Amino acid sequence: MIALPRPSTIFLAAITALVAVLLYSPLFVPIVSSFFTISHGNVDWSSPTLSTYVTLAGNHEILAALRTTLIVGLCTVVLSVISGTLLALYYHGRRSGRSYLQFIIFLPFLMPPVISGLALLIFFREIGLERSLLTVVIGHTVFVLAIVYRTVLMRLQSMSRTLVEASYDLGATGWQTFWRIILPNLSSAMIGGAILAFALSFDETMITILVTGTQSTLPVRLWAMMRLGFSPDINALVALILMFTVLLCVLAARFLIPRQMATERN
Amino acid sequence: MSGAGSTDSAERLLSRLVTMLAFALPVIFVLVPLAIFLVYSFFSVDQGTIVHVPTLGNYARFFTDPIFLPVFWNTIVLCVSVAVICILLAYPAAYFLTTLKGRWRYALLMLLLVPLLMSYVIKIYAIRSILGLNGFLNKALVALGILDQPSTLFVFNMNAILLTLSLLLIPFAILPIFLSLERIPQTLLRASDDLGASGLQTFLRITLPLSMPGVASAASFVFVLAIGDFLTPQMVGGISGFTFGRILYSQFGTAYNWPFGAALSVALAIVVIAAILVGERFGRSRGTSV
Repeated sequence: MIALPRPSTIFLAAITALVAVLLYSPLFVPIVSSFFTISHGNVDWSSPTLSTYVTLAGNHEILAALRTTLIVGLCTVVLSVISGTLLALYYHGRRSGRSYLQFIIFLPFLMPPVISGLALLIFFREIGLERSLLTVVIGHTVFVLAIVYRTVLMRLQSMSRTLVEASYDLGATGWQTFWRIILPNLSSAMIGGAILAFALSFDETMITILVTGTQSTLPVRLWAMMRLGFSPDINALVALILMFTVLLCVLAARFLIPRQMATERN
Repeated sequence: MSGAGSTDSAERLLSRLVTMLAFALPVIFVLVPLAIFLVYSFFSVDQGTIVHVPTLGNYARFFTDPIFLPVFWNTIVLCVSVAVICILLAYPAAYFLTTLKGRWRYALLMLLLVPLLMSYVIKIYAIRSILGLNGFLNKALVALGILDQPSTLFVFNMNAILLTLSLLLIPFAILPIFLSLERIPQTLLRASDDLGASGLQTFLRITLPLSMPGVASAASFVFVLAIGDFLTPQMVGGISGFTFGRILYSQFGTAYNWPFGAALSVALAIVVIAAILVGERFGRSRGTSV
């Protein structure tokens, strides 16, 4: 952009600051409350405490939900990375029928989760599959598949064809080319996609509410608790999750952004 | 991998398996559920059991019952308003980002996008406490002298849904607008400057039209995400903030009328598809695709 006159820069900066404040204030509330007691909307700044974190360590219900979320997240990552990569490899370089199938993969991601969730709910009922963690994992995988698929496909498209051709010219078999050339080149996209898939699964609430059985994941547990109000140790949990999420973001950025920016420059 | 022959046949087997999976996975887990869902919308419920006889009753009820169409329309208006608020806030912020150089630009972009990945339920809860009677918003307005006493105007009604959804969805508007602004060739802006246009003229005649595709994508993202949400209205809407998403969700819970819920979902899906197509159509024009 060309240099702007000072007043408009200040105006734009002010709006940006406002947006940042708006976006971060909902995150600020639980973090502050995890260290200080709040009564009637007033923060008691005088007595910082870690007691909420101690209480959290003893909250078995919430820790069980957290464990369930992690299990669901890991299963979702494994399933979505394997199938997303397979689909990307298959569709890459194939014209016929690709756009239709690609559209189908993207549907659950584009559609409101309530529609995907309800469709799956009825589907599971029709095929006689009881609602359980398995149905949650299927729901999450269907939801995040598009992201993994797209991440891997974009890497495949930016990969130079000459690499594969050189490998065949040097006498490598299809297997060897796949394991030694294609897969190593895709690995960072797959890791990046896996992190995104995990992050999405970790926070997925709407589909989960619809397809879950008796065991609930953390967001669903929190949703159920929210009607009655949260106990203070939930704030501690939120603060910890926020830190963990920021860490995940930084990791995902490391795996995804540098390559993309490098390819854009070329 | 001993002999070339066995590798070949293994490879062929694998490629056949992959082909099968590539077609079967999307069809079984996406297309079939959606198709069953669509079929369900033509069924009906009699005393708690689903009658598998096709009828247009659900759709007739949607169009004739005095409850559903107004809620449907109000929800669309609400979500368009959310999209407008998000864009009004996101556009200046995205523009500001593009005036920054290198590292700062992407660092600040990340900063504005990171809240997306934070727990949705917790954010709704925190926003509700900010908007509430004892919340920060009321405290600030009273302190500034804008209000005499705390108001219940911001929680458990339509306003609350509007404000909460806008806060939650701003990042979805920032990204596409930023990307479209970033792709405007600098030479165009310099040419406009050289030809004697003022900053405002350059903005109105070059930057703004060229960034419209990003605005269209942003609007369609935000609209679709807002209209499909049933958690936010349920949590901050109270009794008066009734949205289509809530009605839909209640058909699968308290009302227990799955076929009617399916018909309502079809109506929702049609609006969503229309929004996506509009976003796609205008998001692609003028060669600056997002």
